[in-house]
Amino acid sequence: MNYKGFVSSAVDWREQLRSNQRRTRFVIVMFIALYVLLGLLIDVFLAMQTIFPPLPVTEILRQLANLQIFPYATLSMAVVATISIFVTYSFHDRIMLLGTDYHQVTPETAKDLAERQLYNVVEEMKVAAGLRFMPKVYIIEADYMNAFASGYSEKSAMVAITRGLMEKLDRAELQAVMAHELSHILHQDIKLTLMASVLANLMLIVLDMLFYSVLFGRDDRDRRNGGNGIVLVIILLRYILPITTILLLLYLSRTREYMADAGCVELTRNNQPLINALLKIHQDHLDHREQYGAAYSQTPHEDIRREAYLYDPVQCGIEPIKSLSNLFSTHPPIEDRLAALGYQAQK
Amino acid sequence: MGTLFFVIVILVALAAWFISIYNKLIRYIEEVNNNNKQIDIQLDRRYKVFESLINVVKSYMDYEKSTLKEVVALRNQAQHAAAAGDQEGKIAAEDAISKIASNINLVFEQYPALKAGVNVEQFQEEIANTENKLAFAKQAYNDSIQKYNETKKSFFESIVVTMVPDKLNKEFVYWNLPAEKIAEQEAYTVNLNKPPKE
Repeated sequence: MNYKGFVSSAVDWREQLRSNQRRTRFVIVMFIALYVLLGLLIDVFLAMQTIFPPLPVTEILRQLANLQIFPYATLSMAVVATISIFVTYSFHDRIMLLGTDYHQVTPETAKDLAERQLYNVVEEMKVAAGLRFMPKVYIIEADYMNAFASGYSEKSAMVAITRGLMEKLDRAELQAVMAHELSHILHQDIKLTLMASVLANLMLIVLDMLFYSVLFGRDDRDRRNGGNGIVLVIILLRYILPITTILLLLYLSRTREYMADAGCVELTRNNQPLINALLKIHQDHLDHREQYGAAYSQTPHEDIRREAYLYDPVQCGIEPIKSLSNLFSTHPPIEDRLAALGYQAQK
Repeated sequence: MGTLFFVIVILVALAAWFISIYNKLIRYIEEVNNNNKQIDIQLDRRYKVFESLINVVKSYMDYEKSTLKEVVALRNQAQHAAAAGDQEGKIAAEDAISKIASNINLVFEQYPALKAGVNVEQFQEEIANTENKLAFAKQAYNDSIQKYNETKKSFFESIVVTMVPDKLNKEFVYWNLPAEKIAEQEAYTVNLNKPPKE
C-alpha cells in the first residue's frame, strides 16, 4: 500500500464524530436491552417453575411489569453488573501495561531528545484538547510499531508507545498518533468498552447457568407448563447470543477507532500526518511480519491491549492471541480508516 | 389530587431541566474564559523560554568570544615572551592559556547541551514545542467558543438564555488576525534563491 493511485482530500471530522457517536449509542442501548431481556427471560422461567397453577407467558410478563411477581433475577443481575463495572473501572489501569517492558517518561527523566519530544507532543495535544490533567506517558521497549491509551481521569489516564513506533515516525506523525490516543481518553472509550465487555461476559455466564439448569434440572413440570417453548428459546440463545455480543463489541470498538481518528484531525487540524503514520505502521508490519509476530506472541497478556492498540496486528496476518475473534478485527480495515481520513483510491 | 401530583411532577422536571441547561452554559462560559487565559499562559511561557534560550546562547557566545580574545592575547604575549627570551613571562602566559582551556571544558561539562550539534536540535525542539503550544492554546480557545455559541443558539437552550441574558449571553470574539494582517500574510512568499534584503 502506498501513495500511488490515491487522492488525499479534506475530511469532515465533525460529521465523523457525530455519526459515530450515534452508532455508539445504538450499541450501548442494544447491550442494555439484551441484558434486561435476559433477566426477564430468567424471571419468566423461574415463574414457570414455581407458580401453581401455571400461568401463560403473557400473563407472567404482565404481572412482572406490575411488580405482582417481583423480578428478582433482573434486579440481581443489574446489581451484579453495577458492582462488576465499578470494580473493573477501578482496577483496569493497573493491568494495561502487564507483561511489557516499559518505563514512564517525564520532563525530568527524559533520557534523550526523542523521549523529550514524545513528552512535548503529548503536552501539546493536551493543550489543544483543553484537558485539565496530563496523562502519564510510557515507552514500551519493543520493536513493533504500536501505541495505546487507557483511562479517563487524572489518576488513570495514560498513553503508551513502543520504542519502534517512536523512533520511526517524524514529529508530526508522532503528534498525530498521540492525538489519536488522547482522543480515546477524551472520548472515555475505555469506560464504554469495559462496560460493554463486562455486560457481555456476565450475559454469557448467566446464560450458561440457565442452559445447564434446563439441561440437567428438567422434570415433568416443564412439559405440563408448556415449558418447551422457553427451553427452546434458551437453547437457541446459547448459540446466538455469544456471536451477537462479539459482533456488537467489534462494531463498538471499530466505531470508537473511527472516532479517535476524527478526534486526531480535530486536535491537529491536519489529516496527512495520521495517514502517513498509518501507512508506515501497516507497511512496517507487513515487512517484519515474522519478527513482530514472534514479539507479539512472546509478550504476555497481549489480549488486554488488543482493542486499545492504534493498529490491530491481526490485519497483516499476525495473530498474537489464538482465538476465534481473530476472524474479525477489532479495528476497521486500514483502507476504510484511510478513506474516512480523506485518503481515497482514485476511481 | 391526581392532577396536583401531575402538575408538581411536571414543575419539578421543568426546574431540573432549566438548572441543567443553566449549569451547562455556565460551564461552557468558564471553559472559554479559562482557555482565553491559557493563551496568556502560553505567551508568558514563550517569553520565558526564549529569554532563557537567548541567555544560554549569549553567555556561550560571549564566553567563547572573550575566551578566544583572551587566548589569542595570552598566546601573543607568550610568543613575544618566548622571542624576548623572557622565560618567566612565557610560563605565566602558557599557564593562563591552559587555565582558560580547562575553564572551557568546565563550562562544557556544566552545559552538556552545548556540546557538538546536540544543542541545535534541542533548541529547535524547544522552539517548536513552545510555538505549537501557543497555536494549540489559540485553537482550544476558538473550539470552546464554538461549543458555547452552538449550545446557546440552539433550540431550548436559547429560551433559557433569553430568560437570564446577563448571566448566560456572552459575546466572545474568536481569536483571529486583523484583515490587513491576513492580506499581508496571504501575500507573503519565500524565495530561497535570493538572499533576504536587509
